[in-house]
Amino acid sequence: MQELRRLLPARLYQIGADKILPFGLAALDDCLPHGGLPCGALHEVVPASEKALPAAFGFIVAFLARLARSRPLIFVLPAYERRRHGRLSGHGLNSLGLDPSRAILVEPGHRNETLWTMAEALRSAAPQAVVGSVDRLDLKTSQRLHLAAADARLPLLLLRPARSLEASAAATRWRIGTAEAARDRFGLYMRPRWHLQLERARNGRPGEWVVEYDHVAHRFSLAATLADPAVSHGPSVGAEDRGCRHAGRS
Amino acid sequence: MAQALAQRIAAAGTPVDPERPFVLAAASSGGPRVAALNEAAEAAGLMPGEPLADARAKADFLQVRGVDAKADDAALRRLTLWATRYTPTAAPWQDDNGADGFFLDVEGAAHLFGGEDRLIAELAGRLDRFGLAARLAVADTAGAAWALSHFHPSPLLVLPSGRQAAALEELPIAALRLSAETRNGLRRLGLKTVGALIDKPRAPFAARFAADLLRRLDQALGRIDEPLVPIVAPPLYHSLNYLFEPIVTAAAVVARASRLMQNLVHVLVRDDVGARILRLCLYRVDGAVETIEIALTAPTRSIPHVARLFALKLEALAAMEDAGFGFEAIGLAVTRAEPMPARQIEFAPSSASPADGNESAWKDNDRAERCAALIDALRQRLGPTSVRRFAPVPSHLPEQAETLTEIDGNAFSSLSGEGNKNGAWPEPAQPHPLLLLPQAEPAEDVMALIPEGPPRRFRWRGVTYDVAGAQGPERIGAEWWRHREPEPTRDYYLVEDLGGQRFWLYREGLYGRETAAARWFVQGLFA
Repeated sequence: MQELRRLLPARLYQIGADKILPFGLAALDDCLPHGGLPCGALHEVVPASEKALPAAFGFIVAFLARLARSRPLIFVLPAYERRRHGRLSGHGLNSLGLDPSRAILVEPGHRNETLWTMAEALRSAAPQAVVGSVDRLDLKTSQRLHLAAADARLPLLLLRPARSLEASAAATRWRIGTAEAARDRFGLYMRPRWHLQLERARNGRPGEWVVEYDHVAHRFSLAATLADPAVSHGPSVGAEDRGCRHAGRS
Repeated sequence: MAQALAQRIAAAGTPVDPERPFVLAAASSGGPRVAALNEAAEAAGLMPGEPLADARAKADFLQVRGVDAKADDAALRRLTLWATRYTPTAAPWQDDNGADGFFLDVEGAAHLFGGEDRLIAELAGRLDRFGLAARLAVADTAGAAWALSHFHPSPLLVLPSGRQAAALEELPIAALRLSAETRNGLRRLGLKTVGALIDKPRAPFAARFAADLLRRLDQALGRIDEPLVPIVAPPLYHSLNYLFEPIVTAAAVVARASRLMQNLVHVLVRDDVGARILRLCLYRVDGAVETIEIALTAPTRSIPHVARLFALKLEALAAMEDAGFGFEAIGLAVTRAEPMPARQIEFAPSSASPADGNESAWKDNDRAERCAALIDALRQRLGPTSVRRFAPVPSHLPEQAETLTEIDGNAFSSLSGEGNKNGAWPEPAQPHPLLLLPQAEPAEDVMALIPEGPPRRFRWRGVTYDVAGAQGPERIGAEWWRHREPEPTRDYYLVEDLGGQRFWLYREGLYGRETAAARWFVQGLFA
């Protein structure tokens, strides 16, 4: 573990200082303008199905864990959604490599308050990033949030419900599906894997990958099974579940 | 004031004719007695404390209502709160003082009104307009003021400083707020006035009567202190503004509040402190007081920040609907302050070469401040418990292993800075689910090859999952030192289904030893 940390590229923790947030994974970064997620923008993360919600959450947390550590992260998770997908766990954040003491959890009781909280957090320029969860979002509101994020030059990651097809002003939209975890040679769980689909990227091009995430090194890498043609060239929309199952098994 | 309270209570029930004798009766041993009465009843020769039957005999067609001690107390508290517009230290009387008035500590406040006599004249005028017949007295000590307000013929009295001994001499013993027993004892000895006690040898009194007597005497004469119990914590810093024209709108209130904050900032800077808890008192024209308290995450002296918080709070409270005819005075108090060293704001950033460490320290400070400001703002709008952070709890049970705590100002020293070594969160030995269900939910129809083996198939929330791989068990024993009843042991499994969804399941109870049919639960979801 020590060695892994030593091997980390020094600039990894400088992410956030400039305006681009790279994944450190050429396959992904190549699809994005300037080789990374634009910092001051709205990014939508949508689970491929209701079941993939933990995976979508995990992807967000993994991405945040890579950001610079100097400022807190604000999680705006409405209290009324807690029943559906459980509550965020500090130990769980810790196992994904995100220091839970950096996280500030805000639990608004109403949808309007959720939107207000996100805008307020962005405007204050205090956090490193803002994460929110919103069920409905019209174009106007998404534009407003996007502008607020752009003004503050902070990323706003918005977790949306599985069936959200509205137009929005988001710079990127990710659809996250589940994938079989990476296991070591004894068959023990080692790293989570997710099936990422970049549905829309402003000034970028869409793509689809199965990535795994190493919480110790805060590093994304392509799952070894990417060679499976079912994933890299397979049909995309509506077949995510099948795709990632193929990816896992081969 | 007793009459006024009586009238007020009467107004709440069926109509009472204030021109005719009216009394409030309280139950006591030997039948109800008159507790309070109006002027007409007084004119009819009734006395407080006499049996109700006698009173009925003296005045024909006497109107009687029961005493409502709670309402009296609430009314007194409301009035006392209103009186904080004169001075921050206002103490309602407890039972030992008669519970029908309050003390105001006007030291240092009287000059704002042009002297003590002007102050009590103004106070009397306002009370009169509320319909309260009040007796007011100003003296060096609370005890002397109480005595004079009760037993001096003049309803408005300012006693020159240092004259309480002379003024009290003529007053009856009752002016010392003594228990009935002590009063009777003194009467039997033929001691009728306070003058008979002053400057007499103390030892015989101390031997004969409860310590009460000499204490009350000394308190009245100012030989010992009498601590007042103020209705609201006396502020550390206080600024009050009387308005010529009552204000009604939230914007006006916020504007006034920021003016008051401006007044306070000088003092705060002088003392090197920042406000942690602020209290805004809005004095309504009709005597009611709205109190808005704001707790801050970190000490602050920033006027716009405070103004913004009050604006948010007012919005959330919608207190303004209750403005009535408007607010005629507004007071801002700092009830808790914390040291806040003066910090040099960036001076000519490009010049010289600031040591890198200093600059980053400055940035950290700035960041922590902005963070505190954000949390304050969120709290005002969403409520104090909706903004929290994670804190680990030393427990083996996953549902108890962490908690959410409110954020205080110290949180930011650990947040800011690169070298954040938070040792409190243990390095995860086993993977831990990202999402915990609020309560572990039972998994049904669990199939396992052997009773103590991992599950092969289970149903949760109406969906059946086929397990592709399970890892475990991680055995977590009950915390026998916490519970008297031994709780079953849990075996945790990290389970992945064919679709790649990862669950945290546990089996409750050791097969064969603790239970014959183990139950399964889903407790968390892995990313």
